[in-house]
Amino acid sequence: MRLFLTLVPLLPILIYAGVVLAQDDQDTMPYIQLSAFNAPLLEGWENQSSDDFAQFHDAEARATIRTALVEIGEPVAAAASDLRRAFGMEFGEPIYQNKVNLADGTWTVLIYEPDGVASASVMARRARSQAVVISFVESDPAARILMLTIAQSGDAREDAGSEIDLALSLLASNKAADLVEMTALSLPSGEWTGVVGDSTAAMGMVFGNDSYLAIGEGETENLPTLADAYNRTVLGFFVTPDNAGYLALALTASFAILALLILSFFWRSRNIQKDLELIESLNQAGG
Amino acid sequence: MPAKTKVLPPRQTVDATPMPALLKLLTILTFVGFCFTLALGLIVAGTDIQQGEIQRIFYIHMPSFFGAFTAFGLTVVGGILYLWRKNEGWDRIAGAGVEVGLAFALINLVTGAIWARPIWNTWWTWDPRLTSAAIMALTYAAYLMLRAGIEDEARKRSFMSVYGIFAFTSVLITLFIIRVVPETIHPVIVGASPQNAQGSFEATSGVVMALIPSLLLWLTLMPVTLIWHRIRIERRLEAVNRLKMQILSE
Repeated sequence: MRLFLTLVPLLPILIYAGVVLAQDDQDTMPYIQLSAFNAPLLEGWENQSSDDFAQFHDAEARATIRTALVEIGEPVAAAASDLRRAFGMEFGEPIYQNKVNLADGTWTVLIYEPDGVASASVMARRARSQAVVISFVESDPAARILMLTIAQSGDAREDAGSEIDLALSLLASNKAADLVEMTALSLPSGEWTGVVGDSTAAMGMVFGNDSYLAIGEGETENLPTLADAYNRTVLGFFVTPDNAGYLALALTASFAILALLILSFFWRSRNIQKDLELIESLNQAGG
Repeated sequence: MPAKTKVLPPRQTVDATPMPALLKLLTILTFVGFCFTLALGLIVAGTDIQQGEIQRIFYIHMPSFFGAFTAFGLTVVGGILYLWRKNEGWDRIAGAGVEVGLAFALINLVTGAIWARPIWNTWWTWDPRLTSAAIMALTYAAYLMLRAGIEDEARKRSFMSVYGIFAFTSVLITLFIIRVVPETIHPVIVGASPQNAQGSFEATSGVVMALIPSLLLWLTLMPVTLIWHRIRIERRLEAVNRLKMQILSE
C-alpha cells in the first residue's frame, strides 16, 4: 500500500516522460541514422540499408546510391573495395579523378566505367583510419549517367556553366556548344541550370565554391531526379560528432557550482552554530 | 551585579528555527524536479544527430539563465521594497537573490563555454551575448564584494538596494541583445535565429517538451528554495552578530 502511494505521484512524471519519448520519435529528421554516420532518406527509392551502410535503389532507373564507411583509409582504394563488395564486380581504374575541398574535408571524385553498360560516380574522403564512400552506380543500357563535383576556379559564381563545359569536354561526346540552355530547375538539393541536346544533357548546381554536376547521355529524362538524389546524399551526409566528454565536463562543472553554493550554506550554518556555542560558553564562564 | 547570562536574549532567537513545512515541501519538490528534468534531458530526450551529446547541456544552460533572471529579479523587488519600507527582511531577499543568481549565471557561462568548444571550435568569443553575460556576472560579483565591504548596516542596505535595482539592466541587456545586435553567432531559441547563428538549435517539439519542465524548475522552484534557505542563514547570522555586539557593549 505504501509503495502504491509512493508510486501514484510518480505516475504523471512517468506519463510525461513517455510523451516526450513519443514526441521525439515523431521529430526524427528524414535521415537514416547509422552508428557511424547519417545520410538523407531518399523517398521513392527502395531502402536497402543495413547497420553498416545506407543504400537506396531505383529499379526503374537501374540506379543505386550508397553511402558506406570503409575500413581502408586511402580514398581510391576504399572506393574500389566498397564497389567490389556492394556490386560484386571489379570497376577497374577510374576514367576520371580529381579532388575537391569541402567543409568536412578533402574529397576524391572518381568515375568508373567498367563495361559499356554500368558506370559508377564516387566521392570518397579519409575519416581517420577509415574512408567515407558515397557512390552512384547506374546500369541502364539506354543511358549513361555520371555525377561529379568540380571546384570553381577564380571568383565564386552563381552558375556552374564553366564547370559544365569542362565536364562535357572531358567526359561526353557532345560539347556544350552543340547543346541549348535548359530551363532552370528548382530541386530539393538546390537550383540547377544546364544544357540539353537530342541525346545529351548536363546540369549543374553551385554550393559554396564548388559546382555539383550531372551528365547524361542516351535517355536522360531521369537525370534531374538522379542528380537531385545523389547530391542530396553528398550534401546531406554527416557524421554525428562524438562529444560526450564535453557533456560530462559541463555537467560536472554545473554540479560543482551548485554543490559549492549548497555546501557553503551548510558551512555557514555550522559556523553560526559554533559562534553561538562559543558565545554561550563565554557567557557561562563569565557568569 | 547581575549575572552576565541574563544579558543574553532567549536562545530561540538565534537558534536554528525548525524548517517551515512549506520550505521542506519546496526542497523535496526541487530535488525531485531536478532529478526528473535531468533524466528528461540526459536520458529521455533524443540525441541531436548534428551536434551530438553536447546538445543536452542546453537543458541546463538556458534554464540556468532564467533561474538567474528570477533570482536577480527578486533582488530588484527586495531592493525597491527595502527602500520603500526600510524593512531588513526585504534586504535579505535582495542579498540572497544575488548570491543564488550569481551561481546560476556562472553555470550558464561555464556550460555555454563548454558547449562552444566542440560546436564553435573555441571556448570563448567576444560575441555580444557572451560579452553581456560576462558583464552581468561581474556586475553581481561586484555587488557581493561591495556588500561585504560596507560596515554601516543602514548605509549598506540602502546602497545595495539601489545597486541591485540598476544592476538588473545588465540582465535585460543580456536577454535582449541578440534581438537588437544582429552581429551575433549565438543561436536564438525562441523566434528566428540570426542569419549568422552557428550551432543553431532547431527546437523540435520533443526538445521543447523536454525543456519546459527544466525551464519551469529553474525559473521558479530552484531560485525560490535556495533563496529561502539563504535568507534563514542570513537571519541567524545577523542575530548572532547582534549578540556579539551586545556582549561586546556590556
